[in-house]
Amino acid sequence: MNPIDELRAARPAHLGDAPVDERTRAAELSYAMSRPRPARRKRRNVRPVWGFSLIGAATAVAVVVSSTGGTTAQAPVPARTTVTSSTPKVKLSARDILLTAAAKAAHQPAGTGAYWHTVSMRRSLFAVEGAGYQVMDRQREEGWTPNATGGDQWGSIKPLGARPVTAADEEAWKQAGSPAEIPVKVPGKPRPMILSTSPRKGFTGHSPLVDGDKVFWLGRNVTMKDLRGLPSDPAELKAWLLRSYEGHSTESSSDPMAADPWLFTVSMGLIIDMPVTPQVRGAAFRMLADLDTVDVIENVTDAEGRQGTAVAIEEHTKGLGVVENRLVFDQATGRGLAKENVVVKPVGLTSAFEPGTVWNSEVVLEAGWTDSKPSS
Amino acid sequence: MTDDSHRFTSMYDECRQRVWAYVVSRAGRQVADEVVSETFAVAWRRLDDVPEPALPWLLGVARNVLRDNIRAEIRREALNGELRAWTEGDVADQVTERLGVLRALAELPEDDREVLLLIAWQGLSPKDAAHVIGCSSAAFRVRLHRARKRLKQAMEPAGQPRPRVPNLSEEWS
Repeated sequence: MNPIDELRAARPAHLGDAPVDERTRAAELSYAMSRPRPARRKRRNVRPVWGFSLIGAATAVAVVVSSTGGTTAQAPVPARTTVTSSTPKVKLSARDILLTAAAKAAHQPAGTGAYWHTVSMRRSLFAVEGAGYQVMDRQREEGWTPNATGGDQWGSIKPLGARPVTAADEEAWKQAGSPAEIPVKVPGKPRPMILSTSPRKGFTGHSPLVDGDKVFWLGRNVTMKDLRGLPSDPAELKAWLLRSYEGHSTESSSDPMAADPWLFTVSMGLIIDMPVTPQVRGAAFRMLADLDTVDVIENVTDAEGRQGTAVAIEEHTKGLGVVENRLVFDQATGRGLAKENVVVKPVGLTSAFEPGTVWNSEVVLEAGWTDSKPSS
Repeated sequence: MTDDSHRFTSMYDECRQRVWAYVVSRAGRQVADEVVSETFAVAWRRLDDVPEPALPWLLGVARNVLRDNIRAEIRREALNGELRAWTEGDVADQVTERLGVLRALAELPEDDREVLLLIAWQGLSPKDAAHVIGCSSAAFRVRLHRARKRLKQAMEPAGQPRPRVPNLSEEWS
């Protein structure tokens, strides 16, 4: 036999064309497509990674990442007040919380620098295959967005590995021999995905800004100048944002989405990790205070253990059941702390989790101006 | 979803596992996902430049990402582990000949292995494989010819005297 034919026949089976698991697929697609690129025409390619579920429910699972308060997979028992409630007293309370946050946010010092720098931690929760415990996978992400046009945008990603979630999970993991590689259930897939408990090598990369000047996605691609010049009046801000609203979700033009959840999704980024002025951040809170469909949940703890208050909206998804999208903020400063997805009605891909589970989160550790960027 | 994201996801679904297999065969499984991820990030950024079919182009990008991000000695070490796993693991369902071929492959210089696997495992034409490596088709054919010869020698049953590696003039004689 020809040596090439023999070699072909000797290919290890795992290097064949088995399909990639859904979580890896979603994570890789979102990682790639969240990067900016030179655009020939209008397209939304500068969107943040957060919530970038690409093509519907099957891939949504991995993109948003999960969180808990470190020792429990359950969201803290919330003291909930509903904006939609017909009792005006409750409605005022939730609204007041957001208006207070608006005032605090508007009075934070404004800064500037060569780069807008953010550091965040993403967490995803998984049920372990063939065992009764859960693990949390973590990834640290860092970004540098240039203030000036024409430069490069930098980003780095460092996978930190998966760990058992609760003390009981830890015990179950030890009982299993403390495996360094943990198979986890990826719903809808016959084979488990393998997570590593140890950190892996990170990547740092950079790329030119889209069109040379677009820095973020805010319903549409926007420049630093657009961001810095957003209206600080809530009604004007809402009108400005809604000019990009076309009746469908931020992820797919085939998924209808009402204006309120759309505004909520877009504003989360604006509040939490975009370089807008303190006045605009305040206006965004006031805009949220006027949405009838948002809830305010007090005394929540983000995945880094920080106390905060959440403003939340429920989303009825395709394939993920009912999910609550939360923005956690610090009431004292109006500073955004985290974005979380909470399972409300588990279906399909979320069926491994109890209602109330924060199954993925992105916690912002730093967001501010700096004059330095990565050296390599 | 835009046309571009549709095109990109289709390309990803078509080629992802083959890019992964290429990276594993060059640097082991440990780093494969990161390299693949970075490769498709480049592909998205440069989508307008990606030719059809995309696979050779993607493999070329993956090759550069490997070179730029994973130090050569780490790559070698990771790959040695991978090759050991291929030839030592799962012995029960391994056919002897198959093992022999993989062991022979493991003995070859890295450059030979790359050339052979682009043809045998990736199913590329010599022209496309030359594109991945960044050399001319003629130069690639020379490298392939030499690599094939060395593979054949390495596959000779153990114990038999091995002819020395031929030099270029012998190959063309």
